[in-house]
Amino acid sequence: MVTRIIQLLLSPLIALAVGVLFLGLSRKIIARIHRRYGPPLYQPVIDVIRMMSQRSISHGSLFELGVVLALAGSLVTVLFIPLGGTVICRQNPLAHGVLCPLSSSGGLLVVMYLMLFGPLGLALGAGDSANPNASIGVSRKLLLALAYEVPFLLVILAVMSHYRTISITEIVARQQESGWGVLSVPLSAVAAFLILPAMLGIRPFDLVSAPQEIASGPLAEYGGSYLALLAVQKGVHLFVVIALYVDLFLGGGVNLATFLVKMLVVFVAAEMIAAVLPRIRIESAVRFCWKWPTALALLQMAITVLSKSV
Amino acid sequence: MDRNQITKWLKSPAKMAHKYSLHAVYFCTGCGIIEIPPVITTRWDAERFGVLPVATPRQGNLFMITGYVSLKTLKAIIRTYEQMPDPKYTVGFGSCPINGGMYWDSYNTIKHLDRYIPVDGWIAGCMPRPEAVFVGVTHLWTLIDKGKADGYLRYKRYYAAYRRNQEMLFGELQWPPLYPTEAEAEEARP
Repeated sequence: MVTRIIQLLLSPLIALAVGVLFLGLSRKIIARIHRRYGPPLYQPVIDVIRMMSQRSISHGSLFELGVVLALAGSLVTVLFIPLGGTVICRQNPLAHGVLCPLSSSGGLLVVMYLMLFGPLGLALGAGDSANPNASIGVSRKLLLALAYEVPFLLVILAVMSHYRTISITEIVARQQESGWGVLSVPLSAVAAFLILPAMLGIRPFDLVSAPQEIASGPLAEYGGSYLALLAVQKGVHLFVVIALYVDLFLGGGVNLATFLVKMLVVFVAAEMIAAVLPRIRIESAVRFCWKWPTALALLQMAITVLSKSV
Repeated sequence: MDRNQITKWLKSPAKMAHKYSLHAVYFCTGCGIIEIPPVITTRWDAERFGVLPVATPRQGNLFMITGYVSLKTLKAIIRTYEQMPDPKYTVGFGSCPINGGMYWDSYNTIKHLDRYIPVDGWIAGCMPRPEAVFVGVTHLWTLIDKGKADGYLRYKRYYAAYRRNQEMLFGELQWPPLYPTEAEAEEARP
């Protein structure tokens, strides 16, 4: 019981710290690829303190609640994702070192639902600000969610039917016994990596919060502490998506340290691709997401289902 | 981070964070904006000092006015300034906002920007080099440290005077006052 409470407090804190660190790292990586020196690694922390100390301008109660909904949704998702550790006893995964407070309930299905809370909260809040730029940003965000959800669901279906379970802890344990998911469901891993920038909202899919076109989109009217909370939410969301990728395809982690190293590898790879690509338009994004990642995911699912039924 | 800065961070984190996270609203008036792209991109890289351009006034705390200010842009400048959340710092860039510069006898540009919005510092020159922006930023750091970058407080205290100057230029303004003017404050008093 006590370990469970500690885990419930610990894993969102890890997500907060690592997520904000990743935000700083992404700015540093992009700066170095541009041959700049770049800001210090802790620059997002400075930014968050600065935004917190500024006067916050609200546009209504839904404007505030949307931020809370987005951040809470992202933080709750962390509780369902195992952050490293080995499964010793299948019947009771809580009895030992898997850092996943709510591993016994829900699994992938709950994570899939909860991951929609971020875009939804932001859409509700930004809609209340009645800024035309925010409206365009929200419509782009929901369209982009529609674009990447199709291949994402196919990927998750393939993984679930390959391992015959919806529990992420179980999937991680099976991978640690018999090889990583990137080898057993390779096309799904490729498809998931292709839609990773769309899920993270980084280039080439950063059309939602494009500062040069639509004045940073849904964030256009957010300032002060609301913007600080949304920056933190961005970090936590980044953590959730990459942690899910590591859990599904890279075999989780034997402990927290190896898990974070794997996350770092995935994140740096995604960022290096993002740093050299330009931004694409929303219709190109939808066309891309529904073409290559969907085709790959469908193919992998057909292969998985056929090989399992034989 | 310097080690001797840690005590400063512990003493007043908000002030230090404002120093090292100046998110700038570049108001693209006149020719000064042509000096800003080299400042924020690869050649001079302002991001290593925490200076980053933002797209909307709600997210920024540094307001740069880069060039001459015509009457039409002054309206937009005032509205943008009033939308930025406190604390905020204004920097006039180039000689035109200081005293009109080469537009000293133009009928359609204002000569002294600080009559209409409070300005915390100036970067003089026509044009100032990108290095001058960094000198300006370090001066602004010193001003924030000493508590002298108080333009937003001056705007609040002398709002009636600023508003009068703005109305002398434009006649009736199309937006309500940011702070209660003296007449309204008199009415609100029981």
